[in-house]
Amino acid sequence: MSKTDYDVIVIGGGSTGTAVVRDSAMRGLKTLLLERDDIASATVGTCAGMISSGFKYYNEPEFMDMCTDEVMHLRKIARHIVMKLPILFPVLDFSEISSGGVSKGMEEYAKRVERRGVPPFLILAPEVALELEPMLHPDVVASGYIEEFFIDPFRLSVLQAMDAKKHGADVYTYSEVTDLTVVEKEGIGVSYHNRLTGQIETVKGKVVINAAGPWAHKIAKLAGANLDLRLTKGSHIILDRRIVNVGITTRAVDRRWVYMYPHENTTLIGTTDLPTWENPDELVASHDEIEYLFKSFEWIVPSVREARIIRTMVGVRPMIPTWKVPEDEVSRSFEVVDHEPQGVSGLISFTGGKLVVCRRMAQDAVDLACEKLGKGLDCRTHIEPLPGMEGDVDILGLSEEHSISQHALERMRIRRGTEVQEILNLVREYPEWRSSMCTCEPVIEAEIRYAIRNEFPHTLNDLRRRLRLGTGPCQGTFCTFKAAAILAEELELNGEDYQLEIMDFLSERWKGKRPPMRGEQLAQEELVQGVYACVANLDQTMNELDYDLKPWEEVS
Amino acid sequence: MDLDTDVLVIGGGMAGLAAGIRSQERGANTTLIRKGQSATSYSSGAIDVSGYLPGGSQQLLSAREGIEAITSLYPLHPYSILGFGSADNDDVPGLAIERVGQAVEWLTKHLKSTPAQLYGGIDSNLEGITLVGTKKPTALLQQTIWPGEFAVDDEGVMLFLGIKGVSDLNPKIASKTFLDNQARTGEPPHKVGNASLDIAPFGHGYNLSTTNIARWLDREENLVTFIEQVKKKAEQFGATYVALPPILGLEENLKNQKALQEATGASVFELLAFPPSVPSFRLQRGLERVFIEKGGHLLIGHEAEPCGIESSKITEVLARSPRRKVEITTRSVVLASGKYIGGGLAATVEGLRETVFGLMTVTDEFRESGKTRPQRLTNVVSLSPESHSLFGCGLSVDQFLRPVNPDGDATAENLFAAGSILAGYSYAMEKCGLGVALATGHYAGETAAANATGGGV
Repeated sequence: MSKTDYDVIVIGGGSTGTAVVRDSAMRGLKTLLLERDDIASATVGTCAGMISSGFKYYNEPEFMDMCTDEVMHLRKIARHIVMKLPILFPVLDFSEISSGGVSKGMEEYAKRVERRGVPPFLILAPEVALELEPMLHPDVVASGYIEEFFIDPFRLSVLQAMDAKKHGADVYTYSEVTDLTVVEKEGIGVSYHNRLTGQIETVKGKVVINAAGPWAHKIAKLAGANLDLRLTKGSHIILDRRIVNVGITTRAVDRRWVYMYPHENTTLIGTTDLPTWENPDELVASHDEIEYLFKSFEWIVPSVREARIIRTMVGVRPMIPTWKVPEDEVSRSFEVVDHEPQGVSGLISFTGGKLVVCRRMAQDAVDLACEKLGKGLDCRTHIEPLPGMEGDVDILGLSEEHSISQHALERMRIRRGTEVQEILNLVREYPEWRSSMCTCEPVIEAEIRYAIRNEFPHTLNDLRRRLRLGTGPCQGTFCTFKAAAILAEELELNGEDYQLEIMDFLSERWKGKRPPMRGEQLAQEELVQGVYACVANLDQTMNELDYDLKPWEEVS
Repeated sequence: MDLDTDVLVIGGGMAGLAAGIRSQERGANTTLIRKGQSATSYSSGAIDVSGYLPGGSQQLLSAREGIEAITSLYPLHPYSILGFGSADNDDVPGLAIERVGQAVEWLTKHLKSTPAQLYGGIDSNLEGITLVGTKKPTALLQQTIWPGEFAVDDEGVMLFLGIKGVSDLNPKIASKTFLDNQARTGEPPHKVGNASLDIAPFGHGYNLSTTNIARWLDREENLVTFIEQVKKKAEQFGATYVALPPILGLEENLKNQKALQEATGASVFELLAFPPSVPSFRLQRGLERVFIEKGGHLLIGHEAEPCGIESSKITEVLARSPRRKVEITTRSVVLASGKYIGGGLAATVEGLRETVFGLMTVTDEFRESGKTRPQRLTNVVSLSPESHSLFGCGLSVDQFLRPVNPDGDATAENLFAAGSILAGYSYAMEKCGLGVALATGHYAGETAAANATGGGV
């Protein structure tokens, strides 16, 4: 087999694509992942990270069972990046609890609590709910109580990709597929644009698994296959702090479910759901979406507008193509589509799916790939742990040994598990690398260096996804120039590319910050302009260097 | 508690302090209230007067050139307003330049021999070299930030010297960026080096701020070892210029710079840094000291209670601190409460408002902005010479810097505004923030004092 021939080529490096490449490589297949941008840079990077019990999908009990199984698998293989959060469902009127399928949901949820290792579904008296969450409206008459698990979607995707590499897979980011050529009996030739070198390269896969999410129909089309998708835009708003202790879910203005989760050191409020045909790269949150979310939560958390909105984030869901039904009646399950009946025998695509079942989606697709390849290989992705699961991490002891704050180490641990030790080995050699680069998220220099050396980032945005760098209340105001310098040093970038790296990062942050711009965020933005335009003079650099306008900047 | 004053200044940054000092000098008893840290103490500490024309990309050779162009192209820019003068003034650029020039000289004189001592003027723009290796045009730099003149055929070596544990300066990358930019523009020096010092002040070798080191160097006993280390590196690279982060001291920077230059034979200077920076603290302290020396009353931690303007004169302002209320009776008011950082302007999703008196706010194009959603005042590109209308919003004022109402008349005859609360310019883009603040503050102080002591403008 030549170097550019693969058993399986996976297109798309989201949660599903990285799960597929890991599964395929673990089964011993020669596998390649092609991602046009970075790992987790699209849909999965804009989700809340909930690995759901399926509470809302009470009409799909089989899917709820699958969700339950998958939560347990993820807790086993990636315990270090999984956390649990209580979620309240407060109501101002008892009828809300008995209507709209809530009782059916409670029933189905209750059937699976034991397997998930959580308390039964509870209905709390108002004073109990208010004690758990004082930000609730005092007129709340009762509150449902459930517990859900969350995973860091960026880390999950990166760890799956890293693990795939460990099992021999090739993972190429910044490789955008431009053409698929079906070669009878041999497989599919895949051409891709290497965005780092500018070259077009060609590889061949016996099977191609299309995990391109909201672009999957376009990929299928390259091979002459047809894939129908129902695409919807989902937006979140992000507040500058945790305004609630626990998650809250409620009915939105149009009776959809929306939620508010304390997330790391911020609060996420989401989501909207709007049919979309736009280029996902160009989408930003609209004023209506922001107000929709605020209005929906004002009834339950009256102070919701008082916090500072630091940004919005937008993703596009690739849903199963069920048409002419409301969004919440579309199955949240997934389909593995074999394009053989369309005459494209080596191509497999997905529609639908949720973060929680990404591993299972991969398993089903790789099973089908194995069938096509005539190989009976068993899936092991639910058994083998992801990197960082090699044991416990003694935060107190390490904090004392290395004079790094417990806070910083604990934050590092929830990203990396036992990898913390390798980062601290760097600190032994370079004690000054204990300095915090990002003060919102206490990310130390050693972790940045480690991520650059081991996790194949090419840009500061890639680093953000691996480290949460620049994602806190200041949105990179104080860390961008410092972290960009470390990246430039490690990747040996020249001075111009260093400046462009800063610009690119600030542009990406601005994309999310601009739509909700109001209140105290204006002071933060004045400071950003003060640092990067007034002092660093980078607003002029824009003209002098080869700054490429980003897709959302080109849209007028 | 009650207090009686001739002039009340609201806001303690550059504009407020310049107004306060000037007003006090003009014989008016002046009280300044400040609620927190000013945006001036969140600056780089460089007094930039005019670096680029609005939206322009051509670096201006001097502030004088900038003011001349601005006053003829942008009649409502704060510099143009300074040039209006009386009805028979037919030389707007001339008067504007005169007033800005006077303010600059006046400040330079006041800060002479203080840690914030200035170098430069409006006749020639200097270039401050920044922590990331870029350059910024500015009329004045603090003395210890000025690298010195570069000769056209300069063969010197610029050494970027970092300090281990101070993450603000990455000397390797800053030197690369500097060199790339020099190569692009063809300007000297063309040789750079980079190195880091390992000094671990107070026994700490990481998470150090430039302020930590500046405090450490303010102690004479630490200077000797520091000089030795700098000297060693300077000799190793044959450096003729040594660029350090701004660490030379909050108090002793002039003395320390001199000692370092004598020991190394090189020009040792500080890089222009991002807020909050050591030089901005030096500037803030320097201004406050002058104000107090002149007999001004400084009330820190006091916020003006929002109130409407009922009559043609403001006679009383209520100031509130966490523990007390002060009723201030005054004859003139200077509003120098800043923009969004300072808190002079605030915005909800419905629109912009001025926070103390509820004055009319306008966009950079002088349209009312009280009902404009802030997001609509932004551009899709974050950093560009187009800047954002949002940062040009503020108050529209008459020729005496009095905020006007929708009819164009002064809202109150004894209320003057200065600094970044004024509309019509983007300081971050034009590189003119502290310059506008200084010049308008200086003029507002004079006018407010004249109004308070002589009656009328």
